[in-house]
Amino acid sequence: MLVNVKLYATLRKFAPDGVEIGEAFPIEIDKATIDGVLERLRIDKEQAKIIMVNGTRITRLDYALSPNDTIVIFPPVGGG
Amino acid sequence: MNKVLRIDMENLSHKWENVKPEHQTYAGRAFTSITLSEEVDPTCHPLRAQNKIVVSPGLLAGTLAPSSGRMSVGAKSPLTGGIKEANAGGLTGTKLGSLGVRGIIIEGAPPDSEDWYSILVGKDKCEIIKTNDYAGLGLYELIGKIWKDYPTKPGIIGSGIAGQRLLKCAGVFGNNIENSDPGRYAGRGGLGAVFGSKRIVAIISDGTGGTRPAAKDQEKFDAARKVFVKSLNAHAVTGRLNDDKGEPFGGLKNYGTNVLLNILSEAGGLPTKGFSSGRFDKAAKISGEAVHDLVDRTKKKFGDKAEGKYAHSCHPGCVMACSNVVPYEDTGKMHVSPLEYESVWALGANLGISVLHDVAELNRLCNDLGLDTIEAGNTIAMFMEAGLIPYGDGPKSIELLKKAYDESSVEGKLVSSGTQTAGEALGVTRIPVVKGQALPAYDPRSIKGIGVTYATTPMGADHTAGYTVAAEILGIKGTVTDPRDLKKAELSQAFQATTAYIDSTGYCLFIAFCILDDDDGFNAMKDTVDSFLGQDIEVTSYGKDILRKEREFNKKAGFTEVDDRLPEFFRTEPLPPHNVVFDVPDEELDEVYKNM
Ligand code: SF4
Repeated sequence: MLVNVKLYATLRKFAPDGVEIGEAFPIEIDKATIDGVLERLRIDKEQAKIIMVNGTRITRLDYALSPNDTIVIFPPVGGG
Repeated sequence: MNKVLRIDMENLSHKWENVKPEHQTYAGRAFTSITLSEEVDPTCHPLRAQNKIVVSPGLLAGTLAPSSGRMSVGAKSPLTGGIKEANAGGLTGTKLGSLGVRGIIIEGAPPDSEDWYSILVGKDKCEIIKTNDYAGLGLYELIGKIWKDYPTKPGIIGSGIAGQRLLKCAGVFGNNIENSDPGRYAGRGGLGAVFGSKRIVAIISDGTGGTRPAAKDQEKFDAARKVFVKSLNAHAVTGRLNDDKGEPFGGLKNYGTNVLLNILSEAGGLPTKGFSSGRFDKAAKISGEAVHDLVDRTKKKFGDKAEGKYAHSCHPGCVMACSNVVPYEDTGKMHVSPLEYESVWALGANLGISVLHDVAELNRLCNDLGLDTIEAGNTIAMFMEAGLIPYGDGPKSIELLKKAYDESSVEGKLVSSGTQTAGEALGVTRIPVVKGQALPAYDPRSIKGIGVTYATTPMGADHTAGYTVAAEILGIKGTVTDPRDLKKAELSQAFQATTAYIDSTGYCLFIAFCILDDDDGFNAMKDTVDSFLGQDIEVTSYGKDILRKEREFNKKAGFTEVDDRLPEFFRTEPLPPHNVVFDVPDEELDEVYKNM
């Protein structure tokens, strides 16, 4: 199944070379959950602190994804 | 021994006083707010002689505790008409701390004076100096001149052109460690104008002969601060620049506070084009990641000559180092320092501007003129809302802001006068203010807890007063408190009380990301404060005492519950993309202070 992923801040290193900041890139996953995305991209669960699917924050790693969903992942961040 | 410096600008005299016995535990915001509540008539005109300016370094400023050198400035605010505290890094907090100055209280105003003054504070000395040659200068030039006149590298705070003209967008500037930028602002509430009303351009703090403040229990203090440093360094938000493999690790060091721009935009909480959308499709171009890349690019290109930086500290001893130096793309030289989230939002996303250079230039102009970036950005948005400048037009915004230099320009005066004044003068009905102060960079419709803080804090719309965003968006939590289980009123109250405590210690508020997540960090932080004072301070009740005093001041100034509300359009205009309105009931807003 094909989904789109955006990675920010310290997670950008897991995106393919040449992907711009804020640019979504497509990936093919076998397991249609957030877990599946993290495994596929080799991102540590601890690192994936804030996850949004189509703009909505989700907290469950077994959240079921649909084709063409956009998944946005942030590491722990803070500011003010 | 700590002293209080009292300055009377009416007869240009000063005296040193002992810290009152009942004020022994007060510093920073506790000192400024409690002094104001005891000494200033809440109904006074904020820009006349009855108002006072109180400056106080945080309790631990000048010690070796990490990131503890912040300094508070307080007065009755010309922008809100209520009590105000704004704090900043820079050099002054540390210098005053090491000089043993707990606070500076400035009262009166020179009658009918055409002259401008600066105050020189040093080891057991104070001079009030006529400095007409400092008035009317851009602040980059002013700080350079002062370091030439005083080669001991003093801390400097004061008012710029806007404050000297008594305009309500004026912040209190501060020089940075390198004295390359006046951008360390105690920005909010128009406090720069209170300096102007007292005919003061600068307070110059010369640390020569200063010593490190001693803790009551030095051994415990030293042990605790070391544990605290470890805890800060290990946390993914506040931690070190790179991990063991050399990959970027700490969020603040790598991307600064502006790491938030993308996340707020993705979450639909980034106020865009005058609070008309929660998402800015070009956020990435002006985000912390973009600044990081720009710095790396110019370093590669210009080598040693490149001046761009991230992981830059705003004051000596900050280990979190969220500040930056933004370079010009084409020369690698410094453009502005810092460029932080709130400013990038106010002068960028909020105006629909996505050219990083234009945002940096607007920030530099604010720094030079003595303007608060949040208030100035919102004020420019009023010009856009009124159709005088198109949203997204960087060059026209720059042109408008430059008019603020010209004393005879009415537009220049208006753009320096604050969001409410400009909005009303220009016939705008969507004016994002609470108690006359413009909203910062989180839309209260999608992040409701911060809306409760905006509405109820005695400070006017202010995110730092109770940063519920940490729990609501950033998922910062720990076993000390899990704020996410609370109702929004309780959540906001808990954050407001903890913040009032942190604002008094000298610690930067950003320690919260670590201490709310990590018990050891929290306990070590608290131990530094307790061992310094030699007494056990209960965090929440200390904070609540301050809040009660501030609230009381505002009540006497004429504020009622009706002032604790967001502007109507937040309740009636749904915010895309989630199409939500602010729906926290008034009764819940009123609970924040009812149960304090
Ligand atoms: S974290 Fe940032 S704002 Fe806070 S003290 Fe350090 S440099 Fe200054």
